[in-house]
Amino acid sequence: MLHPTATYSLPDIEPTRFVVNPAEARFQTTDGKTTGASPHVLNAGQVDRDKPSEPRRTATGEMTPLGQLRANLTGLQDDINEFLTHRMELAKGKKD
Amino acid sequence: MVNLNTVRPKNGRDYYIALGLEGSANKLGVGVLKHPLLPQHEDGDLSFNCHAEILANVRDTYITPPGEGFLPRDTARHHKNWCIRLIKQALKEASIVNPSLDIDVICFTKGPGMGAPLHSVAIAARTCSLLWEVPLIGVNHCVGHIEMGREITKAVNPVVLYVSGGNTQVIAYSEKRYRIFGETLDIAIGNCLDRFARTLRIPNAPSPGYNIEQLAKRCANKETLLELPYTVKGMDLSMSGILAYIDSLAKDLFRGNKKNKTLFDPKTGEQKVTVEDLCYSLQENLFAMLVEITERAMAHVNSNQVLIVGGVGCNVRLQEMMQMMCEDRANGQVHATDERFCIDNGVMIAQAGLLQYRMGDVVKDLKETVVTQKFRTDEVYVAWRE
Repeated sequence: MLHPTATYSLPDIEPTRFVVNPAEARFQTTDGKTTGASPHVLNAGQVDRDKPSEPRRTATGEMTPLGQLRANLTGLQDDINEFLTHRMELAKGKKD
Repeated sequence: MVNLNTVRPKNGRDYYIALGLEGSANKLGVGVLKHPLLPQHEDGDLSFNCHAEILANVRDTYITPPGEGFLPRDTARHHKNWCIRLIKQALKEASIVNPSLDIDVICFTKGPGMGAPLHSVAIAARTCSLLWEVPLIGVNHCVGHIEMGREITKAVNPVVLYVSGGNTQVIAYSEKRYRIFGETLDIAIGNCLDRFARTLRIPNAPSPGYNIEQLAKRCANKETLLELPYTVKGMDLSMSGILAYIDSLAKDLFRGNKKNKTLFDPKTGEQKVTVEDLCYSLQENLFAMLVEITERAMAHVNSNQVLIVGGVGCNVRLQEMMQMMCEDRANGQVHATDERFCIDNGVMIAQAGLLQYRMGDVVKDLKETVVTQKFRTDEVYVAWRE
């Protein structure tokens, strides 16, 4: 099965490519590290009823192709979010 | 004359079906709407009377704990994780078996609204469009409210009072545009009420404005209004100062600040004002301002109809006050809808989008589907009216 990829490019930096490693746990779940409810609302007492559904599985327990894609994209989204957060921190450091 | 049948329904059908997706704020709405293909729509100004049939109108609201507003990130997450579930539910309710064959157009809110939630819904709309090979239409949220209100109430050419959490505008149609006659200079009326509800720490379910309305109804002292700033400025109005003032009163009330002579009797220290009194006075003051500028707009355009749309529009007291004003005018009529159509919903996006589609407007490149937080009502070319 093909896995999704993402490329981030800007004139000032080398393009950064994000790829899926199906063996890693973060590419096997729809519950991402960076895509949960924000700590602010959870601290205010929010009950999180907006979680994504689990990836769908077949009778043998394997993920369906669409479930696999959703899980892969969750891991990719985490990688991209961490990359962009790091870039924002660098930009903030330059300003300071 | 306008030909609403410029684009014919798919597959030789004698009706159109539109799927509408709304998510510009904390409500996620999915609607399925049907318009019959009628000969009278080929040559007339009948966009207020499309004989629309609502096949599905489902909604889920992102609710936060008392005292909290809705943040863009969490609202976008809510929409992202509920959108597909709601689309499936709406298609089931509408008995749409094969969307590729049965849906003529997918309509989504392009703006105005909160960027991140708009984006979540636009992605869902694009995905469905590509998956089912169904054309897309980006819709102005405000125009969606207006067209749904016109279709439900059959108001032909009303002055529109659009009151919601993000918008406060008095609008009238002229020469292919919905022209803004007056609007807020700072915050929207729904935002003013919501933020006051946060100060009071009352629940956000079903909506903060509704809970303020219920408290106001329980005011035992309706003859004595608290004096609040009255800030009508020509055809515009301002509400941030009123909010700051009533917020300070509420905080003094909760703190028991007996130095505040508005709230406590200076001699006995007895409390004179309740939370219910604050809610009642705030509503009366804000709604009086709205009624004043609406009446002035009616006089400007020589109209005898008012259509109230937007989430605050289902406030019964606002409707009553508008009714009183209209009764003093020749043949004055107030048109309003209930919470199914006043509060943000997918059907209104389907209604405005389907009118656009029937006039030949359609997205030709996905670049056109980029959402925008700023999208004024008068930017839309209203091809479907004379």
